[in-house]
Amino acid sequence: MNQQEVEKVLQKAAEVKVFCEYGQRTIPVLDDIAAFLNEISPAIEDLKAVLEVAMVNIPKAAGQLGRVTEATEQASTQILNTLDKMVATLDQVITSVSTGMVSSDLGVATNKMAGIVKTLVEKSGWDADIVELAEAWAAHLRSLKMSGPTSNLERLLKELQDDCTEIMMALQVQDITQQHIGTVMGTIQAVAEELKKLTTGFFSTPAAQTVSIDLPLPNDSEVVGDMERKKMVESLLSKARAGQL
Amino acid sequence: MASIKILIVDDSITIRRIITNALKTVGFTDTTEASNGKEALEKLQAGKIDFIITDWNMPEMNGLDLIKEVRAHPVHSTMPILMITTRGTEHDVVEALQAKVNSYIMKPFTPQELKEKIEGILKTVQVSTE
Repeated sequence: MNQQEVEKVLQKAAEVKVFCEYGQRTIPVLDDIAAFLNEISPAIEDLKAVLEVAMVNIPKAAGQLGRVTEATEQASTQILNTLDKMVATLDQVITSVSTGMVSSDLGVATNKMAGIVKTLVEKSGWDADIVELAEAWAAHLRSLKMSGPTSNLERLLKELQDDCTEIMMALQVQDITQQHIGTVMGTIQAVAEELKKLTTGFFSTPAAQTVSIDLPLPNDSEVVGDMERKKMVESLLSKARAGQL
Repeated sequence: MASIKILIVDDSITIRRIITNALKTVGFTDTTEASNGKEALEKLQAGKIDFIITDWNMPEMNGLDLIKEVRAHPVHSTMPILMITTRGTEHDVVEALQAKVNSYIMKPFTPQELKEKIEGILKTVQVSTE
């Protein structure tokens, strides 16, 4: 063995020494990683199970919200139908009263009205406004029995018509609620989409995906009251009229 | 003033009925309805309409696009338009005004508020055409 060969052996020995030193430092780290993976593996399985349940429950929740919307729309239509009948009947009664034809026609009409009011109360599920209307109607019937002057009767009937209009206007809440539910359903569907990506992407491919959920944030109109919103609208309209917008 | 024909544009049949009834109680009895912007444009072409009340969020064609279409129309560009909507952010109102809506009203509204808005618009339109 000559000098050159000895130097080569020494160089290889030095390389082996470096490799062994590196191995001594990396092996514990690799052991830790293996232990960590063993530890989180059941947690990942649990998470997968939770996501699978969520994927079933989220569309179910969206469906339930949809049914709430349908039910309130149906109830609103029924109430509007009944109110239309009431207003039409009240028109007939008012005409009879104002033309002095307070006779058996009135009796028939008031009985018909009493039936409609009763149905309305039942259909509305004892809604406070409609119960109030029924009480007003009962008071009106009592006043009829007292055979007061027809002008007073006419006034009461017109008050009843105003009550009907108020109930009708209160039904706007159905549309407002429907639009808010629509926004919530949109959010739920966006979450469901992202969860679907997680279950089909993260758990089936080695590379984790970046999750970005574009949730609609509540706008100003949802966090301030009706009066404040109306004031803001009027202020903007004034500015527009003054050419300041 | 109450003899004008009003076109009510809203995808909710409940709201169309509410607006129709509210208008009736304040003396505006001549009304017709459309469920979206596209249908409203057809009604506008088909018959005499003096005033439009429109919602914002609708399928097919929304209220904002309807206003833009009407304003771009050679015959109907000066049509009085009132927007009734649940959208009430400052950005929404400015966007509607930029589309040249005559006025804007938030839900829920009362028949009296509706009457005042319509009369206000008609007065402004009358003044500007004199």
